[in-house]
Formats: sequence, structure tokens, C-alpha cells
Amino acid sequence: MNTRRRDIIVPSELSDLGASRRAFLKTSGGLVLGFSLLGPAAAMAAMRELPLDTSVAAMKGNGAFAAVDPAKLNAWIAIHPDNTATLFTGKVEQGNGAPNALLQIAADELDFPYEHFYLVMGSTTETVDQGPSYGSMAVRYAGPQIQHAAAAGRQVLLDMASKHFGLPVDKLTADAGVITVAGASGKSITYGELVGGKRLDVTIGASGETFGMKVAPNAKLKDPSKYTVIGKSVLRKDIPGKTTGEFTFMQDVKVPGMLHGRVVRPYGVESQLLSVDETGLKDIPGFVRIVREKNFLGVLAETEWGAIQAAQRLGSKLNRKGPDDGLAKWSDWHGLAATDEVWDAVRKAPGKPESVAKHGDVDTALKSATRTLKATYLTPFETHGSIGPECAIADVSKDKAIVWGGTQMPHQAQRDLAELLGFPVDKVEVRWVEAAGQYGRNGLEHVMADAAIMSRAAGRPVRVQWMRWDSHGWDPKEPAIVQELEGALDAQGNVTAWRHHMWVPTMSDTRLLPSELIGKPVGKVNLGSAAIGYEYTFDNADVSSHNESRVGVITAWMRAPGQYETTFAMEAFIDEMAAAAKQDPLEFRLKYLKQPRTIGVLKAAAKLYGWQPRVAFSAGKQATRKAKGRGIAWVNRDDSLVATIADVEVDQQTGEIRVVRVVVAHDNGLVISPDGMRNQIEGNIIQSMSRTLHEEVTFDHAHVTSRDWAGYPILRFHEIPDSIEMVLVNNSPEFMSTGGGEPSTCPTAGVISNAVYDAVGVRLRQKPFRAERVKAAMAAA
Amino acid sequence: MSKTVHLKVNGRSHDVSVEPGTRLLYVLRDNLGLHGPKFGCGLSQCGSCTVHLDGEAVRSCILPVEAAEGHAVTTLEGLGTVDRPSPLQQAFIDEQAVQCGYCINGMIMTADALLKKNPHPTRDEIKQALDGNLCRCGTHMRIVRAIERVAKAGVPA
Repeated sequence: MNTRRRDIIVPSELSDLGASRRAFLKTSGGLVLGFSLLGPAAAMAAMRELPLDTSVAAMKGNGAFAAVDPAKLNAWIAIHPDNTATLFTGKVEQGNGAPNALLQIAADELDFPYEHFYLVMGSTTETVDQGPSYGSMAVRYAGPQIQHAAAAGRQVLLDMASKHFGLPVDKLTADAGVITVAGASGKSITYGELVGGKRLDVTIGASGETFGMKVAPNAKLKDPSKYTVIGKSVLRKDIPGKTTGEFTFMQDVKVPGMLHGRVVRPYGVESQLLSVDETGLKDIPGFVRIVREKNFLGVLAETEWGAIQAAQRLGSKLNRKGPDDGLAKWSDWHGLAATDEVWDAVRKAPGKPESVAKHGDVDTALKSATRTLKATYLTPFETHGSIGPECAIADVSKDKAIVWGGTQMPHQAQRDLAELLGFPVDKVEVRWVEAAGQYGRNGLEHVMADAAIMSRAAGRPVRVQWMRWDSHGWDPKEPAIVQELEGALDAQGNVTAWRHHMWVPTMSDTRLLPSELIGKPVGKVNLGSAAIGYEYTFDNADVSSHNESRVGVITAWMRAPGQYETTFAMEAFIDEMAAAAKQDPLEFRLKYLKQPRTIGVLKAAAKLYGWQPRVAFSAGKQATRKAKGRGIAWVNRDDSLVATIADVEVDQQTGEIRVVRVVVAHDNGLVISPDGMRNQIEGNIIQSMSRTLHEEVTFDHAHVTSRDWAGYPILRFHEIPDSIEMVLVNNSPEFMSTGGGEPSTCPTAGVISNAVYDAVGVRLRQKPFRAERVKAAMAAA
Repeated sequence: MSKTVHLKVNGRSHDVSVEPGTRLLYVLRDNLGLHGPKFGCGLSQCGSCTVHLDGEAVRSCILPVEAAEGHAVTTLEGLGTVDRPSPLQQAFIDEQAVQCGYCINGMIMTADALLKKNPHPTRDEIKQALDGNLCRCGTHMRIVRAIERVAKAGVPA
């Protein structure tokens, strides 16, 4: 894909970078894209011979970086002379395969072979801003944009062929990149021959912006019955190179003349930098200088090892002993809520109320109930924890900047970096290169700002990679959330009242950390919100949220932000109600649901699992050391429906939970690549098991204390289930494709909590469900 | 003061001038341009940096480069290429056992070392061998299946 070496190639004429790169792509066909007809090895050998000049100082004139005009066909598609093609999209790969699905859509609609169709993603001078790649929205929103562009492209090619052959379009057919004259055997022309190396400089029309953009409104789409690529499990194009080391990650990019940078973060979250003794670094081989701006501190060296050593001497290490530990001295700051104080801090933070649902009169119903239940659910701060720490390269001159980064939002990053540097937006180019999986807004935007600040100071390109403790310690976190639920049952076991109130710190704090450290904040601290898909039909219900600003540390969206937590509370508490009413948990839910697709996934999961109705924990305590239980939960996340059922074993001596079997029914409408979706669902299940069983960011009063994989454990191989089975429901063109990147994360904590109750009769209401917590809960029961 | 270190990597000899104590990972990545091994934690906790030293899977992020002198170093690039992947690399492609792919170096290098010692491991033996390798995307099920493909086929990894 485009993340291979081509991304570090810059034409010598930088003043019209986008156009020249496009011209270059045009004349060189698929060659630069890595997987050409020549074969990847030959293509990569050819790439290495191309000129490498990435110095901003070499720019000619004062030309700006041109944006791409979405109304032009060539904004989306290039056809090359060797009959390969390139799709350009502002959406980016983060390991979930969504851009690959976009390529499938384009291939089908253009009638062009997927095998010879390549992707260019994200870079601001090459792609249209289709909005950030988040929220399971790539296929849903960018899909139709690309589908219309490709359909328009097919029509343009047919019109060109009509002129070429002197025949009306209805005498021509387009298939697999070749246009053939009907009835006249042998008369055909490839797209590549037809286009003849020219740009597809044709106006197809576009209106609106990012997610809401409409492209080529008049394009006639293919009849879905004729799909040949959509709905097929094609092989992802990036995978071969990722198994051999030939794929270029952001972390692998090198720019000539670059220095290696490392950051030295404050000791306490709001500590002030008091002094730095630079003389103590002079003997480090390759050490160049420090970069200090207010509370921002970094080091630069000719070698990576030199930068690491210098940063360590200043205080960048796993276990810094105090604000004076290192050659940089920080003020002693103790303003943070420690791990066990987080819940109070969240409850007491100021905020604004939000009502999700309000029906009937909950208070009156509670008073007249036969039985009432009340429970508090606590979910801690979590870290994105990318396996590859954040990395970026910046080359900043006095009035222009090129920044390489793996951000999920390159076009927004361009605007933010321009603000940070005080440049017009068109004097900043973001070259997107895939980084390690990020699962939301991790630190990839922040590290671009780190690199930009240090390159500006040094006057040279700078590569910054965070150390593990920088990433665990300072990447934006998923916030801790407090939820209180209250419910009432009548004598027949019917739900007569339901109250669900949540305290939600922001999940949308886009303030760039380095910009705060230099005292010039860029980005916005928004309020949290009630991320919940409430669909129960209780007569008396009150679902509401207290939406807060930043509580403690920078927090930003992490896979199904907020909804992973709210689904846990909603689906565990309804299970408590079902158990109290002595009813089967599936049948109990179905009494209060009416949306057919919600009922559909619950029934599909139950069928695949082989669900037999019974009351949870009705047989009482099990005599075996390992007690078995089953749990169920569901979610509607932005119109994607998921129901999950799992079997667990709980070790009654140690408290260890093992998830044995997972069954998922997933309805996100038409699935572009079934195997790609299965890969995503498996990933969601495993990752959410990890979040449920293990993950919690810990704090002292100064900073995050869970700064490595020992302090922040994640799921290991010995804990994976024996099987994850799934059924894709409503996978058909009459159902619009909604998202698959996040939804199946949501039910997992509820499923496991409910299954543990079924096994041992104990309710787990605070995440994570580590063995010691489970053991303590069993002892207290 | 830099010194010259003699390394044998993927069958080729290299003399590299580095600072004593530099970790092998940075020499492979920055001096030799090999991108298979990845920086993940620098603490020997995640396995992203795994390489083979005389066939043993080791963590290159903590290994001083001098410790690799006199040993055969193999990286992911030494197993195969996109045009000629090793059977294990091919199995990862066939199973689509990759999401972001950053940890995959460690998974393949660790599994390759296992399969060379024990060509037919059970599922539990595979899981045990990989237990020190972290994957954040949750690709575990497919990774195990890919390794099982090779284990069951009975071909050399």
C-alpha cells in the first residue's frame, strides 16, 4: 500500500507537491505503490532509485501545499498506462482493514480488478478530507463517496471509449478494466490504454464536507445484484509485507539529515520545569542539544541510542523517583486524584446534565414497587496502549512544514499543526504513514507536535519516538466513568422503574499535550456525553448523564468511547433485574425490546449458542473448583447491532476467570469483506476481554503509575477463548453498511459479569475483573 | 568512543561502528536498515523486537550489540520475502493473521523458533510459547491458527 517507501519520496519540485506526485503516479503506474505487476520486490527496488530530497530548505519559491478538489475525478482515481489504478482516500488504515473495504467498493463500481487497484491514504496534498478515521464510520460515510466517484469514473471511461470507437455507449461493456464492443469480437481497449497516461481531469461534482460530503451526485450506481467484489473476502493488500518486514510503518520512515529526538515529560502532570543541567549531557556520543520551551523538554542526538541516553539522564525513565531525579528539576505537584480517589473526583467534577430518555414517573414507581434494586458501576481510566509507541517526523523551516505521522485524522492534524506553528494551513503538509494500531485518539497527534516543536528549534528534520512510559504515561486516556442504576419490580417480576445515571468526563479533549507544555494551547477540551444505545421499553425510565470536562489527565476517545462502559452497566443491571425476577435473562430482555434488528441479533446469537432458558445461578454454588456460567448482553452502537453470549469458568480458589467460548451475532448490514469483518470482531472480542479482565490506569497524586506492560497488563495467549463463533445478520445490500470497527467491543464486560454471576453468584460491578477482586467478592458473598 | 562491531545478520557479514552498549535493535534498524524487528517497549516485555540468535528467540531491545558478536543473527527479513515467503509467513497470509501488524514480527520469530525445535506443537504448547508476546489488536486466534497450519502440515517452518 502507499505506506511503503513511496511515502518518503519527495519530488525535487516541492512548490506543487500534490500535482507533481500525482503526475509521478500517473506516469509510473502502479510501480511506486509496491504491489505492481512487476512484483513487490522489483517495485521496491525501483523505488529506492528515486530521488530523496526532503529538506524544506530545498523548496523553490513560496508555493503552498495545494489541497485536493473533491469535485474532480482525479481527486479520487488515477488510471495508469499499465492498466493499474490508484484510489485516493482521506481515510487511513489503523489495522482494521476499513480502507481495504473502500478499495473493494471502488473496484466493484469502477469495474476494475481489485488485484491491480492500489490505495493512497491520508496525506493532505494527495487526498480529500473525508473526516477522521474514527467511530466505525469509514465504510458507512466514505463508502458512498468513493462508490459515487468510482461510478462516475466508469461512466467517464465509457464516454471516452464511445469516442474512441465511434459507437454509442450502449454498444459497449466495461468489465475488469477493459471496455469491449458488443458483438464485435476482439474489439476492446483497456482503461489504461484509453486514458493514455493523462489525469482524469473531469468534473464529477461534490458538495458538503467530510462525513457529510456528497460526491458525484449524478453518478448511476451498479445494481447490487451485479456486485463481484463487494461481499467477497479478498486478501488484504498490506498483510504480506507485514509478515516479512518489507512494509514501512511510520516507525520505519527515515528522512535524510534527521536527528533523533526523545521527550522528557514533567514529573507531575502539572509540574513546572525549574532547571535543566545540560552540561551533564555533553559526553553522550552524538548528543546535539536539548529543546526547552516552558515546560516542554526534549533532547536531540545524531543516534537513537544517544537520544535515549540523554533523555534518561534528564529523567525519562520507567521509575523516576521524584521531581529531582535527573538533570531536569521539576516542581513538586500533587494535584491528581490517586487510583482509589478517581471515583470521587469524577462524581464531584462540575458538569452539564444530559437526558437520554425520560418516560413516566420513576420516583413514584420506585415507591410502590414490590422490590427495588440499586447498584453502582465503576469503570477506570484505560490506555490505548499501542504496541508501537507513538512516532512522527517533522521538517519545519521558518515558514513551511512537512510532518510525517500515523494520525487517524491527518487533515485535522494539518490544521492543528498550522495553528501550533503559526503558519497558514496550506504551508503545512501532513504525510500520512501507517503506525501501530491506535484504537482511537492515542498520542499520534501529540507526537507530531513534539516533532514539530523540536524541528523548529533545531532547523533540521527530527524524528521523535515515545518511550513505553511516555505512551502509557501520557497518551490520552479513556476516562473513568461512574454509573448508578436503580430499578423496580412488581409482584409478577415486571420492571416498573429504571433509572440509569452516569458521570462522564470528556472523551473529546483534543488539546495537544506539547502545545500545553509550551504554553500555547491548541485543541479543545470538550464535555463528555452519554454514549448509550438505550432501547428498553420500560414505562417509567430515566436515563441521564452528567457531562464533564477534563478530570485529571487528557482523555480522548478509545474504541467505542463511553459506550463500552455504559453497555456494561446497562446490561449487567438488567441481568440483576432478571435474576431478582427469577426469569431467564434472554427472555427477560426480549419482553422489553421492540426493535426488530435488536431482537434479531439476540435470537441469532441464542440460536448459534444453543441457548436453553433458565434462571441465572439457579442451581446455586457448584461443587467443582472451576464453576461454569454463561452470560448474555447486546448493544446498538450507531445502528450496528451486536449480541454476545459467552461461557466462562471461574476458579473458585483463585478467582481467575477464563472465557471459554464466545458467540457473536453481528448486524451491521451489508458487509464488504466478511473475513475482514470477522477479523475485526475477533479483535474487538479479545481486546474488550482484555479491558474487562485486566485494564486499569493507576495514579499517585503526581502522575500515571502504570507506565509499562507490568503495571498495565493486557490479555495473554493462555487466556484466549477456545472459540469465537459468529453469525453476520442482515448481510445483504438492502441493509446499509454501518460500522464494524467498534460495536462488538461493547457487550463484553456485561457478558462476562453476567456469566460470573451465573457461575458463582457474585456480581462484578467494578472493572477490571482481576483474580484478586473476584476472589475478594466471592469471599464477601 | 565508537567501536567496530562485527555482526553476521541473515547470513551476511557487517562491520558497524557504534557506541558500546547500544542495543542490538537500534543497530539492526538504524545502521542496517532492517525493519522486521520493532521497538515496542525497550523493556523486554512485549516481544515486538524479537530476533534469533543462533536460532533462539531473543529480545533485541535489551541486548547490547556486543553480545551478538560471534553469533548468527536472523531477523524477519531472513525468513522470507513477499515474493518468497517462508511457510510460516505464508500461513499468516493465508489466515489473514494480521491486524495492524506491528507485533507480527515477534509472533513469527517466536513461533519459528518453536517450530524448529518442536515441529508439531499442540495448541497449548503454541500458546505457552507465545505467552510473552503481546498483541493489542486481538489477533491471537488467527495467530494460533496460522502456526497450527504449519504445525499440522509437517513442513519445516
